[in-house]
Amino acid sequence: MTKLTRRGLLGTAAAGFAASALTGLPAYAQAKTIRHYWWGNPERDKRTFAVIDVFQKANPTIKVSGETIGWGDYWTKMATQTAGRNMADLVQMDYRYLFEYVRRGALKPLDEYVGKSLMIQDFDKGPISGGMVDGKLYALNIGSNSQVIVHNTRVFKEAGIDADLINWTWDDFAKASEQITQKTGGKVKGSDDLSLMIEVFESWTRQNGHEFYDKDGNVAATVDDVASYWQFWEDLRKKDVVRPKEKTVILDIPIVESGVAVGDTAMSHFWSNQLVGIQAAAKDKIGAAMVPHKKGGKPGQFIKPSMFMSLSRDAKDTDAAMAYMNAWVTDPEITKILGLERGIPASPKVRAALQPGLNDVEKLSVAYFDAIQTKVGDLPLPAPKGAGEVRDAFMRIGTDVVLGRAKAKDAATQFVDDAQAIVERAR
Amino acid sequence: MIKRFIARNAPGYIFLSPWLLGFFLLALGPILASLYLSFTKYDMVSDPRWVGFANYEYMFTRDRRFWKALEVTFTYVALAVPARLIMALSVAMLLDKGLRTIGLYRAIFYLPSLLGASIAIAILWRQLFEQNGVVNQVLAVFGIEGLAWITNPDTSLYTLVILAMWQFGSPMLIFLAGLRGIPRDLYEAAEIDGTPKWRQFTRITLPLLAPVIFFNLVLQTIESFKTFSSAFIISNGTGAPADSLLFFTVYLFNEAFKFFRMGYASALAWVLLLIIGAFTAIAFLTSKYWVHYENERD
Repeated sequence: MTKLTRRGLLGTAAAGFAASALTGLPAYAQAKTIRHYWWGNPERDKRTFAVIDVFQKANPTIKVSGETIGWGDYWTKMATQTAGRNMADLVQMDYRYLFEYVRRGALKPLDEYVGKSLMIQDFDKGPISGGMVDGKLYALNIGSNSQVIVHNTRVFKEAGIDADLINWTWDDFAKASEQITQKTGGKVKGSDDLSLMIEVFESWTRQNGHEFYDKDGNVAATVDDVASYWQFWEDLRKKDVVRPKEKTVILDIPIVESGVAVGDTAMSHFWSNQLVGIQAAAKDKIGAAMVPHKKGGKPGQFIKPSMFMSLSRDAKDTDAAMAYMNAWVTDPEITKILGLERGIPASPKVRAALQPGLNDVEKLSVAYFDAIQTKVGDLPLPAPKGAGEVRDAFMRIGTDVVLGRAKAKDAATQFVDDAQAIVERAR
Repeated sequence: MIKRFIARNAPGYIFLSPWLLGFFLLALGPILASLYLSFTKYDMVSDPRWVGFANYEYMFTRDRRFWKALEVTFTYVALAVPARLIMALSVAMLLDKGLRTIGLYRAIFYLPSLLGASIAIAILWRQLFEQNGVVNQVLAVFGIEGLAWITNPDTSLYTLVILAMWQFGSPMLIFLAGLRGIPRDLYEAAEIDGTPKWRQFTRITLPLLAPVIFFNLVLQTIESFKTFSSAFIISNGTGAPADSLLFFTVYLFNEAFKFFRMGYASALAWVLLLIIGAFTAIAFLTSKYWVHYENERD
């Protein structure tokens, strides 16, 4: 894989030239430089750069250059760098994209380092196995998480919502949304409109008893699943108890523009590791609720490895990169800085060390995690190639329903057709 | 014969040489490579695999988004090019009155074109036309409730047409130069005959400006087909809402850099090239019916 191609050489030369032109320094001034690339938010970036400082102080021969960008642009930039054979040495990886990148040969397996430079033998087996593809470890779990309906506790109290937020159903959710909108005189709507959130839809499908994708990578979600999901939100829109459609169709909005952060809705959808970030952005104290259940349905939500760190194909100095990766999950000072911001750590030792110093939001996230343990289903099978594009199609076609340009049923038929066509074409 | 050719053309080629060097060293290779890649399946990591015309076949027979992208792009070109040219010509005629501060005005009116391609303007545009944006606040003063211009698929494209209209600077400068080239005595003669202003415009200005209009038309059509950054920024890179901003180039970018279909994206690029080529050819073929050059003798 490390064969030197002319194009690769040109690319490196160009990148090196650009880098030295930018900094005014020759590109070879540092003996060991590793690049770490992650998607972030202001809070995460602050912590990560602090980690980089600590690591560099302890390892003066290694220079770490951090690159960060929001989720919305992360994968575009990553794809471009992958194409240019210019990936960062260490990249943050998501469960949804892991298999695509492994199958493209963009990541290196980590197995040979385990027990030598990557000391993770005592980590929980479940979270670690989430980073395995075809029997090899390609991604190191740097936190687990799950979906969460973040809510504004002040508004919930004032509106008198007393539902059991771990065991509640979609009916309870709809009722709560109506009650909140009514009690606040429409100033605060019940919830963000989650029509375009394929992750919530995936839980909905699993509650109906089947996965989004079957074991062969075909679309197993049915037209009825999709239509009923979009219809559920359509009904709430008709009652005017969710965020207006103009705000819904803006895709992948940053945390600070979500309903709970802005304050125009009482509920937004997030991942549990985002609780720290969203609390930093929200005025009121936030609380955590599960994605509502289906009455008599199966568990839909699951605990997923929230973020991974992977070693890229383009990593040159693997020793330096592995030293950094190892420090990330084992070094006491570093794990303390990271806290729970990226999710619940897979190391029992790290968790025990963190326990005493947790603040309110972190306690909330641990308590939420404990509470959902018995309510969640199994980790679904790895998503097939093309899953990222299916996500786009879901948002695109869902937009027509949100804007009232298509009936839920018709759009659902189109989505299932398109999604199947996408995964077939990607094979 | 050859000697004469060199003597006549050498200076031209010498002045062209920086561009020619760039073209042969930097552009030609990728262009030919993309032609080859358009007949392959290539995900940038594994080697390209020859698939013949499969990409083109898929594009024309099965790809709904390809047709949607064409529709969006054609609609945009059909609206943006005339809008921009009319705007450019109007402003050029205003400036042609021989104002003393004309240099200043020229610079000011040209400014949007310099800024227009920038990311900052696209972001500004998005904020202008947002639900709570400046446009709606101004409308509110007149008691009109504005729409969510950008997130409404029925209006989003028009915000980009307005942006295009605002960037009239470079065709305006060319029009201005063209207007300066029209002999004044023609207008004087028309004045003496009592010809109304409107007829002066349609009988003198337009015909004599035809070569310049033609030049601007071709240039702006090509430009408009290639519109990318503003659509990309305003639609968050996806062509959203509901693919109403799925410009051909945005679709191409997504296929290439989001979904790793370099072969297919190359095929898209060649189709775009052919479309632009066809339009330019049509313009040139029809030009003899409406464009007259001063040194023509017929």
